[in-house]
Amino acid sequence: MPHFEPDINDSGGRRDLVLALVFVALSVLLMILPSVTQQQLSLAMRSTVLAPFLRLQETVQQARIRSGSVLVLQAQLDSALAVLHSQSTLEEENERLRTLLELRARGSATFVSATAIRPGTQGSESMFLLDVGEADGVEVNAPVVVADGLVGVVREVGPRSALAMDWTHPDFRVSAMTVGGAVFGIVEPRRGIFREEDRLMLNGVPYHTSVQPGVPIVTSGQGSVYPRGILVGTIDSLAETEAGWRRSYWLEPAVRPGSATHVLVITGGVTPPADSLQTLWLPRERLPDDTTVAVEDEGPPPVEDEEDSPAPGIDLVPPPPEDDAGASNVGPGPEDLEIEADPGDGVIDALPEIAPGDTVIDLSPESLDPEP
Amino acid sequence: MTRSLGFWGVAFLLPILHFLLHVGLGLGAWAPDLLTVAVLVIAREVRSGVAAGTGFGLGLLADAFSVLSFGANALALTVVGILGARSRDLFVGESVLFLTFYLVLGVWLRWVIRWLASGGRLGEGAARVLLMEAPVAAFYSAAVGTVILLMTGAWRREPVR
Repeated sequence: MPHFEPDINDSGGRRDLVLALVFVALSVLLMILPSVTQQQLSLAMRSTVLAPFLRLQETVQQARIRSGSVLVLQAQLDSALAVLHSQSTLEEENERLRTLLELRARGSATFVSATAIRPGTQGSESMFLLDVGEADGVEVNAPVVVADGLVGVVREVGPRSALAMDWTHPDFRVSAMTVGGAVFGIVEPRRGIFREEDRLMLNGVPYHTSVQPGVPIVTSGQGSVYPRGILVGTIDSLAETEAGWRRSYWLEPAVRPGSATHVLVITGGVTPPADSLQTLWLPRERLPDDTTVAVEDEGPPPVEDEEDSPAPGIDLVPPPPEDDAGASNVGPGPEDLEIEADPGDGVIDALPEIAPGDTVIDLSPESLDPEP
Repeated sequence: MTRSLGFWGVAFLLPILHFLLHVGLGLGAWAPDLLTVAVLVIAREVRSGVAAGTGFGLGLLADAFSVLSFGANALALTVVGILGARSRDLFVGESVLFLTFYLVLGVWLRWVIRWLASGGRLGEGAARVLLMEAPVAAFYSAAVGTVILLMTGAWRREPVR
């Protein structure tokens, strides 16, 4: 039986108690510090004491990537080169045409490739580290994507590293829409019983709009964090309806964050052309022409056949009577869109009849961004 | 201090092993929580002030990766350190059973405090964290911690002269 040591005398005990309380107070202080100070503290620790562990994980990660199939990598490289070659001529042609039209150069998104490292400590379940930072042009709120779609967003940036959160984080939100913008909503995560069951939910969809399973959902570009057109997921099923004014849908995420080991960070500000990123995730033939569908604004929209829907998989159903639903929160759906073009301004000589489903290019002076 | 040098060596290596498994090799939840095990075994040998300082320092390191609940790990490990040190006044034991029970309780407590400090609310999520994830992590970490301490002989006391 080991001996028992009463090792604390009165004054020592009091001193210990005070010291312990000081550390508790310091812990609480850490939690209420401004986030900038918290970031500086965590960055300091990551770049000093924890740096060897992070470097080790980076090495392990690189080894894992290198051990991947060479053939697959070769195929991806070939595809990338093919796209690059075809785009270089397009880019030149585009620049020449824009110069002819005296349009200012469009800001375009650039991508920085990075390795995603999972810290694996408690409290960091939805976070991952990137081996790129300010020196590479990465900024706070820069979106993180992979070939399949949206992974998350950068939260902290250091000189050579960054900390990002994926879509499973409870604070993750993204404004999203169907391709073409017929239906808008907010996508947010929902925790499953296990982390593998985490799902996304598209909230705030107008009640009179029904979206079919399988419809792709992309970022809307609203909110100035995510550029328009990044694939978030596809509609899985109806989650809930709320008293005749909104619907929520379960989404099948485009990306499982755990599988993202090599990612791309979108840099250069989030002001790319409205449709520039859409074609990266969805081929042009899959893009429905619902952006400029003109539907009469008077009265409730009629129930439409599938052929007349604004986009494949999207049905417009009549809204509930005003008495039942109160003020319905209808987003910028197709019925709100109007096409403005003056036949006399020399841009469009004759305004043809526009039918639902037709693509209309807006050539009004405001949309062309003339050189100031 | 009646512990051998080996004990302090193991206590020092446990946090390194923790970060090596969690961060270095990226094992995540598959790796045991050896950080709490380290704080708990050190807390049995030092005064509560030192135990609190140890918990605070190691918790701060763990917080380096959690952006939105910064300080939660530091608070949890500080409190666990203090309670671990005070536990000497209440429980005396050197058996493997005691060690395992002590580690299970300590790791579970760390999970609970961290969960509360990071804004956890009662509900379905609480049951999952407190009754499923935390106990599994506690038993797993305690088992691994006990095996390490016994295999290295760190838990054996020096004979009293």
